[in-house]
Amino acid sequence: MSELDRIVHEPARLRILTMLAGVEVADFNFLLNTLGLTKGNLSSHIDKLEKAGYVEVEKSFDGKIPHTEFRITSKGKEALEKYWAQIEEIRKMGAGEVKKED
Amino acid sequence: MSSNSLGTTSPDPKEILKWTKRYARSRTIYFLIQWIVIVSIIFVIVLITNLAQQAYISANKPLFYISVVFLTILFLFFLWISISKKIADLVWQATLWFYKKEGYVLPAERRKDLPRWVVALIGLMIAYHIIGAGLVFLRYLSIQNLQPFSAVVLVPVLLVLIYYQDLGFWAWLWPILYGIHAVLLLLGFPISFPKEWYLLNIVVPVFGYGLLAIMIGHIYSRYALWKLKSLTNLGEIVLDSDSIDRVEDADSQGKDVEQI
Repeated sequence: MSELDRIVHEPARLRILTMLAGVEVADFNFLLNTLGLTKGNLSSHIDKLEKAGYVEVEKSFDGKIPHTEFRITSKGKEALEKYWAQIEEIRKMGAGEVKKED
Repeated sequence: MSSNSLGTTSPDPKEILKWTKRYARSRTIYFLIQWIVIVSIIFVIVLITNLAQQAYISANKPLFYISVVFLTILFLFFLWISISKKIADLVWQATLWFYKKEGYVLPAERRKDLPRWVVALIGLMIAYHIIGAGLVFLRYLSIQNLQPFSAVVLVPVLLVLIYYQDLGFWAWLWPILYGIHAVLLLLGFPISFPKEWYLLNIVVPVFGYGLLAIMIGHIYSRYALWKLKSLTNLGEIVLDSDSIDRVEDADSQGKDVEQI
């Protein structure tokens, strides 16, 4: 089995990607509000996801107030699906081992 | 919550996906703005028609002609509202403003632009209601039957609008209840207002069922947000003082908490 994607495996990034997979677009405040992260950490996680090509970032201005929106890319969706398939495989393997021990 | 085999406890991703979608589809501000527009159209049309009728009965020709001209202007104005990009931008800005603190999220399936035939349907719906008001004015239609008359077109138009905007389950309540109300009225159920309050037979169902749907949607969106937060919240903000210092240090250096 191939190694788990370290970018996706981190709990905060995994939650960000999962939430973005369920919507067309979400902004910074929504993620901040639901994840309960500090602004700095959320920015840091988003930055890593953007660098990996998993998330697209769109910055605009609402008057003088900056507004940042995020959407998951097709690469991000693939990475997320692959990650969950791997986790599912591990879970099944673990369940098999438990049955053998029984 | 489910436990994965890596020894860490993590929420079920399907649950996060489900509640993210449900929350996004239940946010009612966008719907509220449309509700205000539709309700305003019907309310003002009914009000002006009533005024025109009074002017006609009392043979007040200037008031009658003013009412007819005003009805025509209203029709053109609301038609412009339905297709105007400026209005669409305004609605967008208003939505962003209302959700500024909570954050903005757009459901994945929502179609950004309504097809032209749907926009045309809105125009037809307005025209139909003006015709209905005219029929009431000319006494071909009694005002107590205006609600069932309105339901014939308003219910399918609302159903199409809700479908194309992919609103949550709560939005369907409005046309469904409005339709049921019309059927009950036609079947003679005692749900109509007394003669002097007949106008309320259309105003109350339009206002009431729409508002009921919005309130249910709003309550559901709060619940969905609470569920979503309980699944996704990492509780990073609630830390002891040492941890807070470390998080702040990490923030200033652009590091992750996991790296501290």
